[in-house]
Amino acid sequence: MSALLHILRSKLRMFLAMPSSPDTGTVVRSAGSFVVFGSFAVGAFFFSNFITAYLLETVGIGLFLFHRFIGMLLFVFFVTVNLGNMVVAFTTLYRSPEVSFLLTAPVSYLNIFIIKFLDNFFYSSGTLFMVGLSVLLGYGVYFGYPWHFYLLMMFGVMVPFMFLAACIAVIVLLFLMTLAPRVNFRVLVGGIVLFYIGQIYLYFTVTSPVRLVQEVMKFYPYVNLYFGSLDPVIAKFLPNYWVSEILYFYVNDNFEAVGGYVALMLLTTAGLFVLLLAAANGLYYRTWLASLSLKRLTVKRFEAKDMVFAFGRRSWFAPVTEVLLKKEFWQFVREPAQWIHFVVMMGLLTVFLSSVSTLSIRLESPELKAVVYLVVFIFNIFLINAVALRFGFPVMSLEGKAYWSVRSAPVRLSSVYRTKFLVTAAFLVLLSVAVAFLSNIPYLFVRSVTDLATGRMETVTPHDDVRALAWMTIALTPVVTFALVSLNVALGAVYADFAEKNPVRIASSQGATMTFLLSIVYIVLLLALYYYPTLMVFNAELKQVPADWRVIRFAAASIAVPSLLLAAGVHIAGLRSLRRDLA
Amino acid sequence: MIELHNLTKTFGPFTAVDDVSLSIPAGEFFGFLGPNGAGKTTTIKMMTGLFTPTAGSIRINGFDVVKEPLKAKATFGYIPDHPYLYDKLTGREFIYSMGGLYGMRKETLKENVQRVIDLLELESWVDKKTEDYSQGMRQRVTFAAAFVHEPKTVIIDEPMVGLDPRSARIVKDTLKRMSQNGVSIFMSTHILEMVEELCDRVGIINKGRMVFLDTRENLHRHKAKYDGKLESVFLELTKEADE
Repeated sequence: MSALLHILRSKLRMFLAMPSSPDTGTVVRSAGSFVVFGSFAVGAFFFSNFITAYLLETVGIGLFLFHRFIGMLLFVFFVTVNLGNMVVAFTTLYRSPEVSFLLTAPVSYLNIFIIKFLDNFFYSSGTLFMVGLSVLLGYGVYFGYPWHFYLLMMFGVMVPFMFLAACIAVIVLLFLMTLAPRVNFRVLVGGIVLFYIGQIYLYFTVTSPVRLVQEVMKFYPYVNLYFGSLDPVIAKFLPNYWVSEILYFYVNDNFEAVGGYVALMLLTTAGLFVLLLAAANGLYYRTWLASLSLKRLTVKRFEAKDMVFAFGRRSWFAPVTEVLLKKEFWQFVREPAQWIHFVVMMGLLTVFLSSVSTLSIRLESPELKAVVYLVVFIFNIFLINAVALRFGFPVMSLEGKAYWSVRSAPVRLSSVYRTKFLVTAAFLVLLSVAVAFLSNIPYLFVRSVTDLATGRMETVTPHDDVRALAWMTIALTPVVTFALVSLNVALGAVYADFAEKNPVRIASSQGATMTFLLSIVYIVLLLALYYYPTLMVFNAELKQVPADWRVIRFAAASIAVPSLLLAAGVHIAGLRSLRRDLA
Repeated sequence: MIELHNLTKTFGPFTAVDDVSLSIPAGEFFGFLGPNGAGKTTTIKMMTGLFTPTAGSIRINGFDVVKEPLKAKATFGYIPDHPYLYDKLTGREFIYSMGGLYGMRKETLKENVQRVIDLLELESWVDKKTEDYSQGMRQRVTFAAAFVHEPKTVIIDEPMVGLDPRSARIVKDTLKRMSQNGVSIFMSTHILEMVEELCDRVGIINKGRMVFLDTRENLHRHKAKYDGKLESVFLELTKEADE
C-alpha cells in the first residue's frame, strides 16, 4: 500500500509540474489550450441549457421522453468511455515503458496495475468528464437545481458511471489478453468488434426510440406522465438507464427513488472494481508477458511480397511520393493499434448508417424534423471528425524519431506533409460523401414511413426543396470534412510529439483534446449556420410553398468559404510549426 | 549473489537462451559478452522479471526471481541500456522516488540520495527536470537511482551508452569500488577493454549458449594463444554467428 501511495504521490507531483524552461511557444500553446477548454466548457453549458429548453418548451416532448433520450445518449457516452478506456488501456497497461521500469523494482503486480489503471482512466476520461460536467450544469441550471444536486451527480453518479465503464473495459481487455496466446488474435479482435457492434445494435433495437416516441405520443398532450411500463426489461439493468431515472425522479422530487438508484450505481461500481482487482491480481503479469509475443502474431500476414504496396513493385507515382505512400501504408497495417481501431470505427459507422438510411418515421412538426435532420447531419460530421482525430492527428508525430531519414534526404518537408495530409484527406472525403449520401436517402427518394399518430405505414415522396436540401448537404459534407481533416493533421503538426510511438496516446494527448474541442466549436458554428435554412425548408414543405433558396445558398457559402479559409490557415500554421520544431 | 540454473528461454521455435548456468558470488564483477542477438538482453530481462524463463531458475541473493519476485528485486539495482525516467521530475526527485519504491526510510533515504549524487558528481544539474537531460546525464541518474537503496547486486545492460570519458571514468570507479565492498555486479557490454579492465570473470554467450566462462587471468592466458587481443578471442568464439 505504501509503495502504491508513494508512486501516486510522485505522479501527482509530475502532473502539477510546470515546464522547466517555458518558451513563448509553450506559453502561447498552454494559454490557447486554457482558452479553448474554457470556451468549450461554456459552450457546452449553453448548448445543453438551450437544447433542454428547446425540447421541453418549443418541441414539447415531455419529461419522460426527454429523459429517455438522455438515457440513450448516456448509453452512447458509456460505450464511448468504455471503448476509449479499452483502446488506451492496451497501450497503458501493456506497452508503457513505465511498466517495464516498475517491474524491475520491488512493486507488486497489483500495485503496478492499479497505478496504470488509474493513469488510464484519468487519461482517457478527463475530457469526457469535462464535457459531461458542462452538459450537466446546463441541464441543472434549466431546472434551477441547488448546489448539492451537482455534488450528488458528480460524485454519486457521473464519476461512478464513468469508472464503471472503465472497469468493464479493462476486465474485457484482461480477458482478451488471456485468450490472445491461445486463440487466433484476428478472430479474437473480430469477435470483440462484432460483440460491441451487436451490443449497440441490440440496444437500439430493444429500446427502439421510434416505437417509444410513437407510444408516448399516443397520449399527447399528456406526455409528462411516467411511462415506465414502456421500458424493456433488459434496459433496466443498464447503468445509463439508472442515470436517466435518477435525473427523472429528481425532477419529480421522488428522492427515495433517486437514493435507491444512486446506491445501486455506487454498489455496482464498487463491486466491479473489486472484481477487476481480483482478475488483475491473477492475470495482469501473465498477460503482460503474453503481450510481448503478441506483436509477432499480428504482423505475419501483412508480409505479402507481391502486393501493390510492396516496395519492390513499381508504380506510376513519382519515386518520392511512391515511397512515402508505401511507407504510410506499411506503418499503418503493421501497427495493431491502428488497424484494430480502424476496423472498430468502420464497424460502428456501418451500424449507424444502416440505421439512418432506413429511418422511417413521420413527424409533423417542422422544428422536430429540422432537429432530427440536423442531429443526423451533425452525427455524421462527428463520426468523420472522430476518424480524422484518431488517424489524422497522429500522422506527423508518428514519423517519430525516424524523421532524420526523411529530413536528411533531398525531400522538401512540405512534400512529406502534403503526402501525409492528402492520403488521410482523400480517404475521409470519400468516406464522408458515402456517409452523407446514405444518411440522406430518406430525404432523396420515395419511401415508406410510419405515421406516429396512427402507427400506419404510408408512402411519401420527398418535397422538392427537401430533396434539394439533401443534395446541398451531400455537397457540403466533403468541404466540411476537408476542413476537419486539415484541422486535425495541421494541429497534429503543431502539437507533434516525436517521442511517442503509440498513435492512440498521440490521439488522446492534450493537443489532440484541444483539436477535438476546436473541431466541436467549428461543428457547433456549422450547426448554427445550417439550422435556419433547414427549418425554413421543412416549413416550406409543411406549407407546400417554395423555400427561399437565396438564404440556403448564402448559408452554404457561409459554411464553405470559411471552411476552406480555415483549412488554408491551419496548414500554414502546421507546416510552420513543423519547420520550427525540426530546424 | 546470482545463480542461474539451466536457464532457457524460447520464443516459439526460436531459442534465445539455451541452458545457461552460472554462479556469481558476492563481490564478483562479472562481464557478460556476446554478439548482437546472442541472448544477453534476454538473460538480463529474465533476471529482472521482464521475461519469465521457459525452463531453469534464477536466484538472486537467495531469492527465486519467479517465485519471490518482490524479495529478489528488493536486493538488486538494475541499469537498462535505455533507461526510463519520469520526465517531469528532477534527477534528485527521481532518485528519491526510486528509494521510496524500495521502501527506504526517509532519514536513510535523504542521506543516501546525497551520497549517490556526490558519488556520481551530479550536484550541478541534478535539480533540473530530467526531460532536459542528455543521454549521458540520464544514464548517470539511472546509476544513482539504482545505487540509492544500497543493493547487494547490480545488473547493468550496456553501461556506457552516451557517457563522455569523464562520466565513464566516474561510473567505472564507482562500480569497481562497489564490487570491492562486496556487491556482485553483472555487466553486459560490447566494450571489450572495459571487461579487461574491470571484470573478475567473463562469460561469452553466442546463439544463446555460454561458449566461454572463466576468470580474467585465464582469459589473458587464452588471449596469448591468439595475437594477445581479447578482440581476437571474442571473434573466434563467436565466429559462427558472424558468418
